[in-house]
Amino acid sequence: MITRKYLATRTSYAIVTAIIALIINFLLPRLVPGNPVYTILLTKYHYLPPNQIKLLESQFGLQNPSLWYQFQRYIIELFHGNLGISYYYYPSTVVNVIATHLPWTLYLLGTSTAISSLIGVIVGKYIGWHSGTRKETFVSALFMGLTSIPFFWIAVIFQLVFALYLTNLLPISGAFSVTLVPSFTAAFILSVIKHSILPIFTLVLVSFPGFSLTMRNTMVNQNREDYLTLAKAKGIPERLIVKNYAARNAVLPVATHIVLAFGYVVAGAFFVEVVFSYPGIGDALYVAVTSLDYPLVDGIFLMITLTVIIANFISDILYAYLDPRVELR
Amino acid sequence: MLPELEPLASKSLKTKKQTDEDSFIRGALGNRKFLSGLIILLAFTLLGILGPFIAPYSPYNTSFQSWLPPSSAHLLGTDYIGHDVYSWFVIGTGTSLFVGATVSLITTFLGTAVGLISGYYSGAIDNILMRTVDVLLIIPTFPLLVILAVYLPPTNTTTILILGMLSWPFMSRVIRSQVLTLKERPFVNAAKLSGYSGSKVLFKEIFPHLLPLIIINAVYVVVGAIVAQAGLAFFGLGDLSSVNWGTSLYWAQSSDAIVYNAWWWIVPPGLSIALIGIAANLFGTGLNEYVGQRSGEVR
Repeated sequence: MITRKYLATRTSYAIVTAIIALIINFLLPRLVPGNPVYTILLTKYHYLPPNQIKLLESQFGLQNPSLWYQFQRYIIELFHGNLGISYYYYPSTVVNVIATHLPWTLYLLGTSTAISSLIGVIVGKYIGWHSGTRKETFVSALFMGLTSIPFFWIAVIFQLVFALYLTNLLPISGAFSVTLVPSFTAAFILSVIKHSILPIFTLVLVSFPGFSLTMRNTMVNQNREDYLTLAKAKGIPERLIVKNYAARNAVLPVATHIVLAFGYVVAGAFFVEVVFSYPGIGDALYVAVTSLDYPLVDGIFLMITLTVIIANFISDILYAYLDPRVELR
Repeated sequence: MLPELEPLASKSLKTKKQTDEDSFIRGALGNRKFLSGLIILLAFTLLGILGPFIAPYSPYNTSFQSWLPPSSAHLLGTDYIGHDVYSWFVIGTGTSLFVGATVSLITTFLGTAVGLISGYYSGAIDNILMRTVDVLLIIPTFPLLVILAVYLPPTNTTTILILGMLSWPFMSRVIRSQVLTLKERPFVNAAKLSGYSGSKVLFKEIFPHLLPLIIINAVYVVVGAIVAQAGLAFFGLGDLSSVNWGTSLYWAQSSDAIVYNAWWWIVPPGLSIALIGIAANLFGTGLNEYVGQRSGEVR
């Protein structure tokens, strides 16, 4: 049940967190020695053209040294959707760079989360119902092991295997064949799907065990509930008990797990993109980090953080709505 | 008579406590999961400590031919500029474990302190601490790690401090909820009634019962920190000249090791991380099971 107090607490958390993220995003770059204008000009021209310095300084809002002034500018620009200009993709704006990379990441994340939550729920339902058996212990231990393997290493190993032993079976880098021009043709779409198989498979493999274990744990808890004892006493077939009684109640926390795991899966998607040279946000972040493109790093940080904060907020509300028993604070 | 009785009494108490600890450890070792996890973890620790002594070459020696496959001269072959991969790996083990262990130390200290204080002294302190934790838990860790690592000087110390400062909130939550249940147990009330001070109850009565939980979480944090450090290094963050599993994977990726089929360079660090992760899980689950059984027996 969503009470006004619950809504107020959750909203205030989201706002406070967002403000902290904004402050980090504003302050960190300004605490570091060095002038971004000089950095960008030196990497671009290898000397400092005086007319360019003035122009860039005003573009970066550096002409006034007062922090407070810069903070106001920062907030105003932010609400105008201006996150600055990327050094690496100069003269592209950060917003533009993010906008061109984001669809690829959303595609990877959406598809892999849908597949892994589905597999996770089905497998978790099964091992949860059979908990305590030897088979279940083995599978659970295996899953715990799987969740502790770094995403990027699995990706590298797949790439190695498909480069060495299963050569030419599946593409191991890029998002589509370089000979094709992006368009809505069957050939292009097929190429996109083929290129995404390995990245998605990697993401699914490392994230579905988490879903299964959550599902397993809630299934085990359901087993102790009185309503299940009653259902068994009534002689309802076990298959129906699992399907219509236990699993229905156990699936709720998995819904929250999907959102809670969001931050983790996003990070995983980034690594997978780097390994497979997949042109998503992770790839852009990698380029930004290695080329010291500070505005791009800041912009991506802000975008992901705000997205995760909003996702968290929605999941809290959704959970209270779905499960009226949830204890509210 | 009295002055003599005092030390005697405390001595006999101490020996009883020691035999308790002995039987606890012996009992836990009887758990197969705990034991196998512990053995793997100890084996890696040993490798980390002995690394510099068993490495046949210096990890900075680049006088060998590039991309040599494994042979008796180079157990794990050589890399793109002719490092001996085996030497790099065994010495890197030490660095990776050191980073993991120090991060875990910081996290465990902060997490336990906050959890204990917050759980035991409820009220305003608890409120402030837990609201802070709530907020910290919402901020996604990876982007925060990246942005901090980008702006702060790229050294291992920075990496350790960032990871240590960011991973305690979760642990404090776990400890706090355990303190909350322990606080209501009869032996704690008995201690309070017999006139123990607050801090004495906290450290003498509650803290020992938290130890297994703290140890399990500390081991998980070691693994989490090793993975996080490797991930940061893989992303080109932190000290890339440092010899460890993460930088090993970074250089392999950035020098296209896959094109050269250099599996001998890619497999060992990742497999070690996976093995340590599995070992930590076995260790934790086993210890948990044993503690559960034991408290069952006592009741």
